[in-house]
Amino acid sequence: MSAVIKVENLTYAYPTSRDFVLKNISFEVQRGEVLAVIGPNGAGKSTLLKSLNGLVPHFYGGRYGGRVIVAGHEVLKTPISTLSTKVGFVFQDPEDQISGLALTVWEEVAFGLMMLGYPREIIEERVREAIDYVGLKGLENRSPFELSGGEMQRLAIATVLAVKPEVIVMDEPTAQLDPLGKFEVLSVVRRLAEEGATIVIAEHEIEDVVYFADKMLLLDDGRAVAYGDAREVVAMVDELKSRGVDPPSVTELAHLLYRKLGVDASYPVTLEEAVEVFSRLLGG
Amino acid sequence: MSAGVSLLKRAAVETNTLVQRLDGRVKFLFFIWATLLAYIFYDPVLNLIIIGFTLALAAYAKVLKPIALTLAIIIVPWILFAVPILSLPLGFPWNKTVIGYIEIFGRKYPVYLEGLGWGFTWPLRIAVSISTALLFFLTTNQAKLAATLVKMRLPFKAIYVVIAALQFIPLLAREAEVITQAQRARGLRTDVGILQRVRNYLAVVIPLTLTSLNKVQIRAIALESRGFSAPVRKTLVYETSFTRLDYVFLAGMAVATAFLAWVYVTYGYSPISHLPWVWAG
Repeated sequence: MSAVIKVENLTYAYPTSRDFVLKNISFEVQRGEVLAVIGPNGAGKSTLLKSLNGLVPHFYGGRYGGRVIVAGHEVLKTPISTLSTKVGFVFQDPEDQISGLALTVWEEVAFGLMMLGYPREIIEERVREAIDYVGLKGLENRSPFELSGGEMQRLAIATVLAVKPEVIVMDEPTAQLDPLGKFEVLSVVRRLAEEGATIVIAEHEIEDVVYFADKMLLLDDGRAVAYGDAREVVAMVDELKSRGVDPPSVTELAHLLYRKLGVDASYPVTLEEAVEVFSRLLGG
Repeated sequence: MSAGVSLLKRAAVETNTLVQRLDGRVKFLFFIWATLLAYIFYDPVLNLIIIGFTLALAAYAKVLKPIALTLAIIIVPWILFAVPILSLPLGFPWNKTVIGYIEIFGRKYPVYLEGLGWGFTWPLRIAVSISTALLFFLTTNQAKLAATLVKMRLPFKAIYVVIAALQFIPLLAREAEVITQAQRARGLRTDVGILQRVRNYLAVVIPLTLTSLNKVQIRAIALESRGFSAPVRKTLVYETSFTRLDYVFLAGMAVATAFLAWVYVTYGYSPISHLPWVWAG
């Protein structure tokens, strides 16, 4: 495996902020890996994600230190327009992703390809593929503003998929959605992960990403306080809770069983694992 | 959804009649042409004919409701306001020809032809512009419109500004509605005198401005992330070219122009209503 993303000692402050919002952060993401960036509100998750497609520092300005290399391009030396073909960005609020130029779902997905000057035949093929992938087939002629929250976020993902980026970056893509919309979107993300896409996803709720994340990076106050295999980070129950991040309920239960009753069981991270672990414990 | 939002909400994109199929340039030209005619002539009946024709096209194109509603909201009150003020003896210098008398609170007042004509013509001219502009806007696919404007060699960023502004008016209206509701829920009063009401609405305008600025920045970020500034030739998924339908419509406009030029030369600026000229007309 080769590193598609390499972040070395990244430090950053917005022009309007006195303190640094990212402090000396380093990590790597290999091709086909899913990195979940977790942390409480204001930890710097969104800013970190924006540093991967060049919005930080090119769009915002500010003080910047360290190096971010994405798909062989050093972000500081590469324009956003070049990075936009390498990094697809899915925003928290799907309405923010809507171009404002397209009247239909089809046109919205085509927008990025049009801006990047792809030939019309390729645009038609890729738009069809992307719409099929996220399950919006049949809604091509619908206005993006008439979609439900989950559909709109899947549309946002389709706009990214159509460009076939090397890395997909998602900034809390389910934060604004109802449970059904959340399920729809997470199903698409999970399928992408299973099919080998390289994904960096910021999430507030670990339970949503633990099913498919390979690695986790716990941010707090702009610092990387934990980084490594997703299971290892999830198992740091006390550390997570002290940072205001809730571990999966099943992991926390196993942790409490160990701490209060001395029951030594491996920490499950998903519900399916929990059924297996606790059944074994109970002799089922 | 407020009247403002529903008015500006785009017509169903699936609708595809001859009017939708007309090239955006032709419909834009029709808007300019009809507006010029409404100003060159001084005849409310002629204005009504143009409005009637536009509304017939709108009905055929299934966009009658928003256009008729806009006219009803803007033009009807305007006429109701302008006609009595202009046609009653309130000292307007052009009022000379008395066409009848009206009794108000037991006193008889003269009604002047000049004021009456101006009171109808002025709002109806605006109605011509609004109805033809809305017909163009509501029946032209924006992506096709963008393609048209690119063909007219306008810079892409300028085109985006035009199209995005059209798209964001309904969004802004919705945002204003949400903020108004939120402020009312927190005690903002709207059942007060007009001056106090204007002052109270600052509580809506200030957050609306700030939210809009924020949204503009977010939009800019999203566009940048999607290659908006990529230094390449943008691909247009729609080709625009004039079809026979466009040439037929243009020919119709040319014939109408020739006919109306003849009418103007032969019968003057007010061929149907025979209104006397007023200085402001």
